[in-house]
Amino acid sequence: MNSYYIKRTLRSVVTLWIVVTLTFGMIRLLPGGPLVQLRAQLIRQGVDPSEINGIIESYQNLRPDQPLYIQYFDYVSSLLTGDLGESIRYGEPVAALVGDALPWTVFVMVTATVIMYALGILWGAVMAYKEGSTFDTVSSALSILFSTVPFYVFAIFLVIIFGYQLEWFPTRGRTSVGAQNPYTLGFVIDVVRHAVLPIMSIIVTQVGLQALAMRGNSIQLLGEDYVRVARLRGLADGRIATRYVGRNAILPMYTGFLTLIGFNIGGSVILEEVFTYPGIGYYMFKALEGRDYPLMMAVFLVITSVLVVALFVADLTYSKIDPRVQTGDSSEAY
Amino acid sequence: MATDDPIIRMRNASVTYDHGESYVLDDVSLDVERNEILGIVGESGSGKSMLASAMLDAVPDPGLLEGSITYVPESGSKVDILELDKPGLRSLRWEEVSMVFQGAMSSFNPTMEVGDHFRETIQAHDMDLESGMDRAHELLEDLYLEPERVLNSYPHELSGGMQQRALIALSLVLDPELLVMDEPTAALDLLMQRSILILLRELQEKYDLTMIFITHDLPLVAALADRMAIMYAFKLVEIAPTREIVEHASHPYTRALLNSTPNLDASLEEMQPIEGSSPAPINLPGGCAYHPRCPLATEECRTTVPEFERTADGHVAACHHTDEAVDRIPLNYEELLREDTLGPDGDRA
Amino acid sequence: MKPTESDTEFSFETSRSDIEVTWKQRLGDFYREFIYKPGLVAWSDNRTRLGALLMLVYVLMGTVGVVYYRAPTSNQSPRGVQPFQTTEALLGTTGSGIDILAMIIHATPPMLIMVLSGGLFATTLAVTFGTVAGYKGGVTDRALTTFADIAMSIPGLPLIMVLAIVFSPTNPAIIGILLTINYWAGLARAIRSQILTLREESYVEASRTLGVSTWRILVKDIIPNIMPYVLVNFANAARFVVFTSVGLYYLGILPTSVANWGVQLDQAYRNAGALTGAGTLYQLVFPMLAIMLIALALILLAQGMDRVFNPRVRTRLAGESRSTDGDDTEAVSTTEVLN
Repeated sequence: MNSYYIKRTLRSVVTLWIVVTLTFGMIRLLPGGPLVQLRAQLIRQGVDPSEINGIIESYQNLRPDQPLYIQYFDYVSSLLTGDLGESIRYGEPVAALVGDALPWTVFVMVTATVIMYALGILWGAVMAYKEGSTFDTVSSALSILFSTVPFYVFAIFLVIIFGYQLEWFPTRGRTSVGAQNPYTLGFVIDVVRHAVLPIMSIIVTQVGLQALAMRGNSIQLLGEDYVRVARLRGLADGRIATRYVGRNAILPMYTGFLTLIGFNIGGSVILEEVFTYPGIGYYMFKALEGRDYPLMMAVFLVITSVLVVALFVADLTYSKIDPRVQTGDSSEAY
Repeated sequence: MATDDPIIRMRNASVTYDHGESYVLDDVSLDVERNEILGIVGESGSGKSMLASAMLDAVPDPGLLEGSITYVPESGSKVDILELDKPGLRSLRWEEVSMVFQGAMSSFNPTMEVGDHFRETIQAHDMDLESGMDRAHELLEDLYLEPERVLNSYPHELSGGMQQRALIALSLVLDPELLVMDEPTAALDLLMQRSILILLRELQEKYDLTMIFITHDLPLVAALADRMAIMYAFKLVEIAPTREIVEHASHPYTRALLNSTPNLDASLEEMQPIEGSSPAPINLPGGCAYHPRCPLATEECRTTVPEFERTADGHVAACHHTDEAVDRIPLNYEELLREDTLGPDGDRA
Repeated sequence: MKPTESDTEFSFETSRSDIEVTWKQRLGDFYREFIYKPGLVAWSDNRTRLGALLMLVYVLMGTVGVVYYRAPTSNQSPRGVQPFQTTEALLGTTGSGIDILAMIIHATPPMLIMVLSGGLFATTLAVTFGTVAGYKGGVTDRALTTFADIAMSIPGLPLIMVLAIVFSPTNPAIIGILLTINYWAGLARAIRSQILTLREESYVEASRTLGVSTWRILVKDIIPNIMPYVLVNFANAARFVVFTSVGLYYLGILPTSVANWGVQLDQAYRNAGALTGAGTLYQLVFPMLAIMLIALALILLAQGMDRVFNPRVRTRLAGESRSTDGDDTEAVSTTEVLN
C-alpha cells in the first residue's frame, strides 16, 4: 500500500516536470512562439539589439544565446527558486502577480464548485427518491436546460441583468475601490458581494448535470440487493437513504469533483474577463490579449500545477471513501 | 399439507403481476413444521424465490401478494403476516422470521464494515447493543469465524464462504424463530457448500430454529432437510419427508429431476435432462403445467389441474397418475436404493 | 454397476457449416444490429427525437441555409432594427446594419465542421487508446495510461488558449482538433475501464482460444459493445467543442475571421451597448439561443442514447423487482423490437 503512495507521488512529480518541460518547449521551440514574438516586439519598440538578449533573460529566465540545455537548466532552476519571470505589460515579477491573484480565483472557483456539488447531490437524491413524479420530470428538464449554457455565457447574462440593469451586485472587481482593511465585516461582505455573480454563473450552469448524474446513480442503487436487505433488516428509511444509497452514489462522482475544480480554474480565464475580476484567469487573459508571453506561460504553468495537485489529492484520498479500492483506481463508472 | 405444530401456515398464496395477468406464485398452500428443516426445490424461474419473499411479505413491487400466511410463534398469538402494518412488519422481520439471500456479497453495504451492519440492525430494533453484539460474537464463533476479525472487516475483504457465514450470523442476531434461505450456497465451491450444510444443522440444533432451504440443487438439500417440497411452474407439486422423496417420489417431475442429477453409478444414457423448458408465467399450459414434458400425460392432464393426492404418510403429490409414476419412471440409482434400504428383503419399508 | 457401454456411439464430430453468409446478408445484419435496432430503441425516447430534430435544423441551416440566405455584411439593412419588425431582417440588425439572422446562419457551417472534426478526433483517439490499453494490459497499458494521465493533467482551456494564440488557426477542422487536444484523455480512461470488464467476458475468451487475431477480436467482439457509450460521449465532446469555441471567439483568442456565435456575443456585449439598454439586448439573446439550442440538441441525444446503453436507469420498476419475471414484463417492449 505504501509503495502505491510513493508511486503516485512520483508520478505527480514526473507529471509536473513534464509540464515544465512542455512549457519550456512551447516558449522556446514553437515557430512564431513566445521568444520569437518577444524578440520581434522588442525590436519594434526600438530596443538596442545588444540589450535584447538581456531583456529576454530578465523576462523569461532564459539566455537565448546559450545552448538549449543550458537554457533549459536556467529555466528550471529559476522556477525552483520561485522566479517566474517578469511581465512585460505590468513590469512586475510574475510571481508577485500570481501570488496576489491566485487565492482569489481559488476562493471563487472552489466555493462555487463545492456549493454546486452539494446542491447537485441533494437535488439528484430527491429526484431519485421521487422518481417518476412531476417534481422529477420538471427537475430533469430544468437540469438539462440549465446545462445548455456555458458558464461564461451565463455570466454575461447575469452581469447585464443583475449588475447593470438591476444594480443588485457590482459588475467588476474583487472588492470595491478603496476597500482596505481585510478584517472588518464590511470588507467580508464587500468581497462576498463581488463574488456572488461569478459563483452563481458556475453553480447554475453546472448543477444540472451533477444532479442528473446523482439521480442516475441513485436509481441504479435502489435496485441493489443490499438496499433491499437493509429494508428487510428494519433500518429506517432515512438511514438507508443516506448511508446506503447516498454514500454509494457519490463514489463515482468524487474524482469528477476534483477534476471539475481544475477545469473551472482553467475556465476562470473567460469568467474573470467578463467580470473584470483580477484573479489568475484575468491575468492570463490580459497576457493572451497583449501577447505577454512571460506572464502567459507562467500562469499556464501555475494553473497546470494546481490541477496536477488536485488530481493527486483525488487519487490518494479516493481509497479513503471507497474501501473496496486498494490501489487507487477509482470506479470510473458514470 | 397440514402438520401438527406448524410455525407457518400458508394457504392459497399467490403473487401476480399486471392485475392478475401473470402468476409467479400460484395458489400455494404449505405448512412449515416447527424446528424442522424444509427444503424447497425448483428450477430457476419456478417461483421458489417468490415463495421465500412471500414469507416476509417482501414481494418486490409491482407484484401483488394474496392469500393467507399465518405465523405461529412459540408463545403468543398467531400473526397474520399479510395484515401487518409497517411497525408490525418491523417486529416480524429479522426478529421472528429472517432471511438469507443468494450472493452474500451483494447483501452487504460495500462501504460499511461488517460489524456496523450488526450494530445498526440491533439498534434499529431497539435492542440492547451490548447483549446483541455478544450474541453476534457467539454466532460468528458457531460459524467458525473469528468474531473480531470479521466484524472489523469490510465485506470485500472476506472470502465468499466467510461472507455467506457472516450473513447467516447477521440474520440470526436477533434470535429469530424461522430462517428462510434462498440459494445460500449457490456461489460457493462444493467443499464450502458441504461445510455450510453441516454448520446449518449445528445451528438448528443449538438455537431451536426452523429452517427453510430453497435451492435448485436437490441432492444438496436432501442431505440436510427433514422434509422436501418440490415446485414446478409456480405451484407445489410434491411434498414429503426426504427419505420418501428420494426412494419413492410419486410425481413424474420429481422423478425426472432425480434422474437428471449427475450420478457416478449410472451409465451415460441413463442420465437424462428433462426435455423442454419450464414455462414462462404468461404462457402457462392448461391443466397440469407439466404435461408437455411428462411421459405419462393423458387427456385428463391437459385439461384438469391435479389436486394433491396422499400417496403415503405425510406424502402428497399433485398428479393424476401417481400410482404409475413409480413403475413407469425408474430411478437410475435404484440399485443403490435396494442395497441401502432398511427392509431386509428390499421391499418398501 | 453397469460399465459405460452403449449402443449409440457418442461422437464429437464437427461438420462444416452448410450456411453461406453472403456479403449482402452481412451488411444487412450489420445494419439491423447496429443501426436499426439501437436506432429504434433510441428513437422511442422522446429526448432523442427532439435532439435529432434540433440537430437537423442546424444541419439544414449550415447546408441549405448558407446557400440561400444572404451573407452578413455591414449596412445590408437599416441599422439597429428591432427583431420581428421586418421580414428582411427577421431577428433584427446590429448597430452597423448587419442582419443578425444572417450572422447566425453563416456561423453554423464552421461550427458544424468544428464539432464534427473535434468530436471525431477526440472519440477516435480515445477509443483507440482506451481499447488498446485496456485490452493489451501490461507494459503497453501502463505506458499508454501514463501518457493519457499526463495529457489529462494539463488543463484544457489554458493550453488551448496558448496554442490558439501561437498558431492562430483559421481552418475549422483544425480548430476542432485543437479544441479537443486533451479532451480525449478523460474519455480514454473511462473507455479503458469498460474494456477491462469486457475482456473478461466468455465470448472474448472463446475468440482468443480459437486463435482469432487481436485486431478482429477488438473490432468484432469488443468495440461494438462500447459503441453506445462512445456515441453518448461523442455528443458530450461535441458540446464541449461548441462551448469552448464560443468562449475563445468571444475573447478574441481565436482569429475572428471565422464567423462564430461567440464573436457575435462579444460584439453585442461591447459595441452595441447591450449592457446598458434593454433595447439592444436582442443582439445578445439570439446568438445565446443559437448556442443553447445546439447544446440542448446534443445533451438530448446523449441522454437518449444513454438509454440504449443503460436500461436500468429507466425506471424504478426495473430496479426494484427481484424476480426475473418482473424484469420480463418490463423488457417486453424492447424484446418486441429486438426480435
